[in-house]
Amino acid sequence: MGALAHYLEERGIPTTQISLIAEHTEIIKPPRALWVPFQLGRPLGAPDRPEFQRKVALAALALLEAEQGPVLESFPEEAPDAGQVDEEQSAAWSCPVSLAPPSGKTSEAEALAASLHREIAELRPWYDLGLEGRGRTAMVTFDPESAASLLEGFLTREEPPSPEGDLDPAVALRLAAQDLKAFYFEAAISRPGAETPDSGAFSDWFWKETAAGAALQAIRETCKDSRDKDLAMTAKMFLVPMPQ
Amino acid sequence: MARLHELPEPMYSHLAELPCPGFETTPWVSGPKLAERRVAIISTAGLHRREDRPFAGMDGDYRIIPADTPAKDLVMTHVSTNFDRTGFVQDWNVAFPLDRLHELARENRIGSVAAYHYSFMGATHPDQMAAPADNLAGLLAGDNVDAAFLIPV
Repeated sequence: MGALAHYLEERGIPTTQISLIAEHTEIIKPPRALWVPFQLGRPLGAPDRPEFQRKVALAALALLEAEQGPVLESFPEEAPDAGQVDEEQSAAWSCPVSLAPPSGKTSEAEALAASLHREIAELRPWYDLGLEGRGRTAMVTFDPESAASLLEGFLTREEPPSPEGDLDPAVALRLAAQDLKAFYFEAAISRPGAETPDSGAFSDWFWKETAAGAALQAIRETCKDSRDKDLAMTAKMFLVPMPQ
Repeated sequence: MARLHELPEPMYSHLAELPCPGFETTPWVSGPKLAERRVAIISTAGLHRREDRPFAGMDGDYRIIPADTPAKDLVMTHVSTNFDRTGFVQDWNVAFPLDRLHELARENRIGSVAAYHYSFMGATHPDQMAAPADNLAGLLAGDNVDAAFLIPV
């Protein structure tokens, strides 16, 4: 990010930026930067907190009036609710799904794929309800059933499946994984009376309690040594978060 | 949170050891008061309109986001799995504060909101962004932008 600011300013465009990793910004020394103590993925602090977001944006934009640089200032406030997460409540948050494998499947992979399809069918009504209410979904490329079918191909076949359209298998796998995570989150927060989990609680649930999380972790293991180098890299780096 | 020393392993080592370019000079362009500036968002969150190509490689390309893009049509296909996306699912302003910029313009805290905004994918090596930045600078100048607001993810 800092390098991009350097290039743009060098070409005559005044820049200011938010910094999430101060140590990087200190090395790159872009013209103007505001370091914020927020979670990666949330540079403005928190969703649905317009006053707070506005304060962050204005603090970064105000650096444009500095007389000389480089300027690296620190935003003085934590994100709303940060540090107030109730650990017990966070750990207890869940969205019940039936992970138990259906009977009659011949292999572990087939059973996992069947569980994934069943889980998606269970969550689909909540996702549809949420989409109707919000009018917006973060799913991009696949509908949930197609994403699950693609994952099933990676789970149960020797050779990677050929996705429809012009996507290569590695890109299709990554986009299907991202779409499924969005689907699970949107479904989970759309159940009547459901609380919105913090990102850690959602991540724990998705990776430890759902067939989708189990399927992605299984695919990581089966594809990480693929002869398709793009697929191997995607499996190793872009399917499952580092701490999992 | 993004205090580097508080991140768990292996994220801490991954980010701490990430090579960052150093520059011998810091370019500096002055401009008018903030209330007179035209502001464009430059994100590295891998954002694009729903109908645009997803981000697939790390070749420094970017996507154009017209200012009238509705929230329901802005999506994220950044390759990384190591940052929170649930905030963006709930409210695009947490990564792409276009609604906040429009409010600030209505209140005359900034001069105006650019007609076009842009997104790269931040996992790209910085060297790969130099040539696209050249091209982007021309587009920003053409839109009379004198405040590029760069936002990472």
